[in-house]
Amino acid sequence: MSFKVIKAGIFTTLQDRGRFGFTHLGVTNSGVMDEYSALAAQKLLDNAQDTNILEITFAPVELKADANTSFCVTGALCEVFINEQLKNSWQVHKIQKGDVVKVQIILEGQRVYLAVKNGFDIAKEFGSNSTTIKESLGGISGIQIKNADILPYKQNSEDIINRWHENHIPKYEKELVLRVILSYQEESFSKEEKEKFFNSTYTITQDFNRMACKLSGEKILSSLDGIISEAITFGSIQIPKDGQPIILLKERQTIGGYPKIGTVLSIDCFKLAQMRIDTKVRFEPIDINTAQDKLRDFYSTFA
Amino acid sequence: MQIKLASVDSVIIYFSNTISKQNSLKVKSAYKLLKSLDDKDLIEIVPSYTSILITYDIFTYNFEQIKIFLNELLKDLKVEDESSQELINIDVYYGEEVGLDLQRVASRADISTQEVIKIHSSKIYDVFAIGFLPGFAYMAAVEEKIITPRLETPRRKIPKGSVAIADNQTAVYPQNSPGGWNILGKTTFELFDKSLEALSPITIESRIKFNPISKDEFLKQGGILEF
Repeated sequence: MSFKVIKAGIFTTLQDRGRFGFTHLGVTNSGVMDEYSALAAQKLLDNAQDTNILEITFAPVELKADANTSFCVTGALCEVFINEQLKNSWQVHKIQKGDVVKVQIILEGQRVYLAVKNGFDIAKEFGSNSTTIKESLGGISGIQIKNADILPYKQNSEDIINRWHENHIPKYEKELVLRVILSYQEESFSKEEKEKFFNSTYTITQDFNRMACKLSGEKILSSLDGIISEAITFGSIQIPKDGQPIILLKERQTIGGYPKIGTVLSIDCFKLAQMRIDTKVRFEPIDINTAQDKLRDFYSTFA
Repeated sequence: MQIKLASVDSVIIYFSNTISKQNSLKVKSAYKLLKSLDDKDLIEIVPSYTSILITYDIFTYNFEQIKIFLNELLKDLKVEDESSQELINIDVYYGEEVGLDLQRVASRADISTQEVIKIHSSKIYDVFAIGFLPGFAYMAAVEEKIITPRLETPRRKIPKGSVAIADNQTAVYPQNSPGGWNILGKTTFELFDKSLEALSPITIESRIKFNPISKDEFLKQGGILEF
């Protein structure tokens, strides 16, 4: 009982919430880039939050089902078909043996998520299905999904009728505000540098992948040349010597030696994951208590 | 000791701002203590040269609470000496066909390649941090005599198992990778091994000794000479 992959797309990977507990050995967390969309899909299917899911970056992707189940597609705005019939994203659909599911074209945003009821039956590696290609960990043999791969699932005939509320489906805007917690080496940035940082508009460059997002715009300077290498968290903003901020994302290196001005609130990193090259971003400070309240609210939505 | 914000759900503990064996022992002692709590709400504990990053469950601790908890826990930290740390021997073939920079390191130090090998392999190294690649352990300190800066132009590919030095640090490349370290030899020792439950035989608490072996021995262990 499985999907057979007819068309894999150029970069479709199996993910979940990430691989934790091996960072001290240099193993990155990995996991879905846009947790909002992925968690919404699991909630719609009444799955556990850590259920695995496909992260699709390039369409078309085509899967043929050989058993009944339910699935749903969230994330970037795209056209989803079951047997040539256009279906809504952010809604659970039943499929039957022989049905072909297609993600035809991505219209807005960057990453589409496709989940099935109870997830795919693929063995975890070191606690996770998340694929990190540079580490050959997770997914099916540590790489992206390929044509003719088999994605096993358990047959399911439940009637799951769920749809994400229209008002809660994200719109991908032309300009994104990223809330920043001042952290790490923030004291090495003068008042003037911080003002510049928070009052400038930056542009997302083509150096944007699962590891990091490099921005271009006003140069920011630290009084430090480099620092003693230390562990770096999701969302931290490195300022290398060229003064152009780099936001570190799910597949970041585990330690690094550049000064960091702050860390983007993870909820906003999930939004960033859907932005395209040339999108404008601005930074806005947020205090730690408000940030933690926001994050607790965020996860409570999916509980 | 200073606890600073790292992110919405992480703090970083700084034990000092200089790299030294003593400061590293502080990090290792604190790391050991934190691990021994086996607290599932401490999601990640990531040590480095002078710091430890802690990612925690924000449904259990808020920032103030984790700070108080860590301050309390670490205020009377007993710094252990290195006697409890495991010594790991790594066999290395220091041949010029695999140690591409052996000759250059020797010329720079104005000594023979045999002396470089002797100097590099007679010391016990401490692990100061693991990162860059899974299982890539930064070990120190290399004897002053053979200290060599990184290559100006990094190599596109350094083969897995290469034993190399950069400044006063030494390391083994756990997989093929671009890199700028000076290669002295090669080992068949696996630093990142998916068949191990722990993923790597080395942790920040390991001490490492390199053991020179002959070409025959290296080949017998399954070593590969080609680049």
